[in-house]
Amino acid sequence: MEVRSQKKPWVVMVMVLLSLTGKISSLSVTVNEVECVYEYVLYEGDTVSGNFVVVDHDIFWSSDHPGIDFTVTSPAGNVVQTFKGVSGEKFDFKAPRSGMYKFCFHNPYSTPETVSFYIHVGHIPNEHDLAKDEHLDPVNVKIAELREALESVTAEQKYLKARDTRHRHTNESTRKRVIFYTVGEYLMLAIASALQVIYIRQLFSKSVGYNRV
Amino acid sequence: MAQNLTSRARAVCSVLVVVLFLTANLVPVTEAIWLTIPTSGTKCVSEEIQNHVVVLADYYVVVDEAPQQYRTPTISVKVTSPYGNNLHHVENVTHGQFAFTTTESGSYLACFWLDGEHQEGVGATLNLDWRSGIAARDWDSVAKKQKVEGVELELIKLEGAVQAIHDNLNYLKDREAEMRQVSESTNSKVAWLSIMSLGVCIVVSALQLWHLKTYFRKKKLI
Repeated sequence: MEVRSQKKPWVVMVMVLLSLTGKISSLSVTVNEVECVYEYVLYEGDTVSGNFVVVDHDIFWSSDHPGIDFTVTSPAGNVVQTFKGVSGEKFDFKAPRSGMYKFCFHNPYSTPETVSFYIHVGHIPNEHDLAKDEHLDPVNVKIAELREALESVTAEQKYLKARDTRHRHTNESTRKRVIFYTVGEYLMLAIASALQVIYIRQLFSKSVGYNRV
Repeated sequence: MAQNLTSRARAVCSVLVVVLFLTANLVPVTEAIWLTIPTSGTKCVSEEIQNHVVVLADYYVVVDEAPQQYRTPTISVKVTSPYGNNLHHVENVTHGQFAFTTTESGSYLACFWLDGEHQEGVGATLNLDWRSGIAARDWDSVAKKQKVEGVELELIKLEGAVQAIHDNLNYLKDREAEMRQVSESTNSKVAWLSIMSLGVCIVVSALQLWHLKTYFRKKKLI
């Protein structure tokens, strides 16, 4: 009886702390010019990790898409991380302070692009939290580390899935181009040769006079 | 007497902790992402989800602290499946939620837009908590059903995460196999169509020559 009543507040405290960890968002958004996504970081020192991939791109000629720009702004207003002209990237940083962080995608070109992104904020209780609450067991730290490791595997999988989607779009586009452009090429060839024949016949027609040729 | 005091103190302590637990979970600012809804046009987010996956989403319009907006703008929401079925459609709300289990694999789209009577030139900020798959699982009911708590529940959650990773890997493997098939068929099409284009070229020029020869013979030029 005594042991059970002593365990209860510890259990509830554990549930409080562990329920506030592991915030995840994984979505696709269409970027026309600038699209910003905000995510709240609860503790200073939390690791914010994520990735983004430009999934839908309609480039006609060059195989190298110029890419989009990505910026992370802290609540204080300074830029924490930035990538310019990339078609997909993974990012990872330690939040210098808690607050609302802004993740912005900027598309320098007029064609809208679809970006698939994933942001994860992970918190591992450290010695400060352990010291503050005597009911917090070191095993919770290990469990939090294990959860963060599994989240990083999940993040990699989401990145792979987004890259695979982009690859699938490219493959579909290649397949369509191969069929349509080849059939178009045959038709053009047939029409060009028919026009040639008509032109030559016209050159030899009686009204012109075949001596002039 | 001393024992009474310590037990009362302990009871007060646990009540405070329970209150903290409840209020911490009532403040949803720790989860979800914020999106800005433009004054005109819609803001859409999508996710490519496979079959038989549970999706849960919660959204609410974030109230601006500055008194510029005298009332909270209302939004309309529409969620569609990849084949165009309407899964959730409401108008003139400031908050709501939707949940569904996917019956087809593809891209699920959720669109938000501001309603007719909103202040011109002022957009709104939406807090969206979108969870799919393992993140949408209700761990409280699992804990109650299996009568586990604390560390054991956390380990069960980790086991669920590992199972989700395994399922995702299988899904990626199947998708890669499909794509490899498309790649290989495109490869063989390119080879066949290029050789056929050479054949078409030769056939067309042979036809040209034959036609011109008969034409000139007919015209008694050769």
